[in-house]
Amino acid sequence: MKRYETVYDVMVIGAGFAGMAATLFAAERGLSVAQAGATGGIDFSTGFLDLMAVHPVAEGRYWDSPWDAVDAVIRDVPGHPYARLGKECIRTALDDFTTFLASQKLEYLGHADRNTPVFSPAGTVKRTFRVPRTAWKGTEALRDKAPTIIVDFHGLKGFSGPQIVEMQKQQWPDLKTARLAFPGSIGELYPEHMAWTLSAPERCAELAKAVAEHARNVEYIGFPAVLGLNDPVRTVSLLEELTGRHVFEIPTLPPSITGPRLRATFDRGLAPRGVCTFSQKMVLNARRADDGLFSFQIGAAGDVRTVRARNAILASGRFFGKGLLAHRDGVIEPIFNIPVTQPSSRTQWHTERFFARQGNALNLSGIEVDDRQRPLGTNGAVLHDNLFAAGAILAHHDWMRMKCGAGIAIATAYHAVRSMIDSGSKG
Amino acid sequence: MTVFRLLLVSAVCLCLAGIIRRYARRLSGSALPRQDRSRGRTPWQITHILLHLPVTLITDVLLLRRTLRTSPYRWVMHALTLSGFTGLLLFHALDDVVSRPFIAGYESTLDPWQWLRNLLGGLVVAGCLMALVRRLRTRGLRPATRLQDWLFMGMVAGIVLSGFALEATKIISPNVFNRMTDTYFVPESDADIPALQAFWSARNGVRFSPPAGTDAELIARGAELHADNCSYCHADTSSAFLSRALATAISPAADALNAAQTDAFFWFLHVGLALAGLALLPYGKFLHPVATPLNLVLRNRRHDAATIPDTATAARLGFEACTRCGECSLHCSVAPHFAAMGNPNILPSEKLVSLRKHAAGALDTSAINALAEGSRICTECMRCTDICPSGINLQDLWLSSKQALRQQALDGPNTTIRQCTATQWAEVLRTQGASRFEQVRGNGLADRAESFWGCVQCTTCTSVCPVVAVSEAPAKDLDLTPQQIMNLLRMGLKDQTLAARMVWSCTTCYKCQEHCPQNIQVADILFELRQIATERLRERDLTACPLPGPSAPARAPMDNALPHPAPKGSSGDPA
Repeated sequence: MKRYETVYDVMVIGAGFAGMAATLFAAERGLSVAQAGATGGIDFSTGFLDLMAVHPVAEGRYWDSPWDAVDAVIRDVPGHPYARLGKECIRTALDDFTTFLASQKLEYLGHADRNTPVFSPAGTVKRTFRVPRTAWKGTEALRDKAPTIIVDFHGLKGFSGPQIVEMQKQQWPDLKTARLAFPGSIGELYPEHMAWTLSAPERCAELAKAVAEHARNVEYIGFPAVLGLNDPVRTVSLLEELTGRHVFEIPTLPPSITGPRLRATFDRGLAPRGVCTFSQKMVLNARRADDGLFSFQIGAAGDVRTVRARNAILASGRFFGKGLLAHRDGVIEPIFNIPVTQPSSRTQWHTERFFARQGNALNLSGIEVDDRQRPLGTNGAVLHDNLFAAGAILAHHDWMRMKCGAGIAIATAYHAVRSMIDSGSKG
Repeated sequence: MTVFRLLLVSAVCLCLAGIIRRYARRLSGSALPRQDRSRGRTPWQITHILLHLPVTLITDVLLLRRTLRTSPYRWVMHALTLSGFTGLLLFHALDDVVSRPFIAGYESTLDPWQWLRNLLGGLVVAGCLMALVRRLRTRGLRPATRLQDWLFMGMVAGIVLSGFALEATKIISPNVFNRMTDTYFVPESDADIPALQAFWSARNGVRFSPPAGTDAELIARGAELHADNCSYCHADTSSAFLSRALATAISPAADALNAAQTDAFFWFLHVGLALAGLALLPYGKFLHPVATPLNLVLRNRRHDAATIPDTATAARLGFEACTRCGECSLHCSVAPHFAAMGNPNILPSEKLVSLRKHAAGALDTSAINALAEGSRICTECMRCTDICPSGINLQDLWLSSKQALRQQALDGPNTTIRQCTATQWAEVLRTQGASRFEQVRGNGLADRAESFWGCVQCTTCTSVCPVVAVSEAPAKDLDLTPQQIMNLLRMGLKDQTLAARMVWSCTTCYKCQEHCPQNIQVADILFELRQIATERLRERDLTACPLPGPSAPARAPMDNALPHPAPKGSSGDPA
């Protein structure tokens, strides 16, 4: 088959934020791209694009300006991935990324120089850099403490209106909640099915009718993020039209539909750019010939195929994405066997309190790269001049606690692609 | 002659007895219950068939139009056999009733009859050879080939080949020569017989012992005697070109063959085989020369599943008209299932045999279950009906038999499993333990811990599942959701999952597997569970839940409720 015979300019290993971003940037620059990986991180995303919000994590200090936060983190943590990039690179990367999403009907909003407070599924407030249009009005309601109702549904797990109200009632007396029956269902509910259901205008009309009596005295209605799958803006607009109120979404607990929306956007947008996606195929191992050509074995035991590429971008994530494997005696990188910076012994992986605010040392482990995103070997030298790395697999960051996951993924992917092109990728 | 008469009468009696027995069984055993689609004989349909009769006879019966649709090879093969055998049957076997009364001066040893007989026989042998090659060389035809197919082919070829052998051994036989001269020739001098011998030896291949004279003058004298006495009834044996060639080939062993009276042996073989064929006429493939043309006429050149007058008779005729050519099985769209499962009832030609036996009440429980399974796998795609060279309305047969089997509570594991709750089945299936299938195969995906290591119970599989999506209340409709099944398996509770309606309602669309962030083979596992449950049901011929259904009040204790496997044949009688 042709897709297995082609020699690609670049093989992107990973299909999370970093993998998708690297694939996008490389394809937009005219490279032939193959991409392999499981539907990992991106499916579990809240849909928000974090840039940098918390530093130092031990203090839990929130920053209004992500750029000041970046400056601070670079100063305090010289190994942090942002330290190699420069703000201009980060800004351009995020702009390119959101421009692509907007072209695929997934528009993002936010401020140029500051973070925006948003609801988390638990009713807490966090700060993020870019927000999907369908969630944006929630940030306005939150800012103005406007009269708002949070709607949830019988049978939907992972989203509770009363919990959100409980978390906010001190500072937001005009926030209330109502629990409704979801149109056409009597049992447990799952976000994707609800999103499909609400893609139908008739169902939206039923929902609007059910909401109406609870929404007489409010300006905003907040729903769990189930308002349509491929064109949520249309569903939200329709509901606004039907209810006469501002409507916004709050992501549900992962996996929230906001993740599959992002992935579906890439599925739609990357194929026309000539990307060859090996969906749900894992890279099992890699060989590099003397002339630098990579051969990857992809698939699963019993169904293994070979794909060849002149360059590779390793964006396989950390533990959940299987970019790093935690063995009894240490953490390894399984594909290229790149040395992993990690705590010196297993006893130091975690603090005694797993959820301690300062985080666990294991979550700073990862691989080391040079200024051009090329992984380093044991002696500190570049491992291969045509191998690059991006995203969470890099060492010296705790993206979950620092709230910098999407930013690191997108910006380092951008830098990796740029470095690859500078070093003459077409071979 | 008396021996021949005796054999002939016996064969005819056996044939008649076979027909009577067959129809008696039909009437008493009653065929499969048929769908009542109020299809009666209408005068117009009969008229229609009669109007088209001449065309149908020419195109479908004589010119084998339907056979040509399958392949030119089969057409040549069947046309050779049919024309050769029919010719021999009419003009040779039945020469007393056909050739002699209607053809003036007919004599089997005169030309063109002698020559023609060899030609027709040659056609049959060529056709049989082609059939043999086809059976051996066509991939997919071997499983659809049974003893009766080899027997039929062997019988047709055997009759004709033994005929050639008979003719050849007669050609070389001095005994036959002597019998003729004793009966028909009055020598005028002592030199006449040697002269005639010399001529027949040189010209017609008789091998005398000691050899006849080869003197030219003697042969010339013999030729004169031959012209005066023999030539009225005997053409040159060289016109029996195949038999004569065979005679030449065996002539080195002529003395031994003649001494052993091989010609008499071949006479018995030839006549015996022909009469055996007659006696076997009511059985299986042997009836097709009668039943198939009738069916072709009734089908009136149609290829669809439209029904024809008097459906019961037509269906019965359909049973009989099968020539077992195997084309339906070669064209069957679910034939790959046979390759995987090995149940011959998946193949139309073999299913028809089982159906015929089932209609006669001759299948045991396992065989009926196998028939039901094969019937269920059929997708009613019509390909067999369209291609059948005998024009059998197979589609109609399958529709009726499927419904009939369903009425006999043989609707397959998907129905059986829904007769009790998943929890009840878990008890039954747990008590039964692993099936032979599981034991032979060893641990599957569902048994291996590493299949689920990565599962974080994130519900993605359930959230994308279209089966869960169409369910109003998944817990009530499906028992378990995909991620719950994965969780139970991870805890080693495989039996609890086997009858979950989620497992049995899975469409294997693979969305769960395609979306799983941990690359767990969710769809493959669900399919495997269904297969495991199916094998466990099959192993015990369980076609109904042994426990009271979910709506029934109290449940009997397990030990009493589990039935012992039904004795063979006990539930095999069709309703």
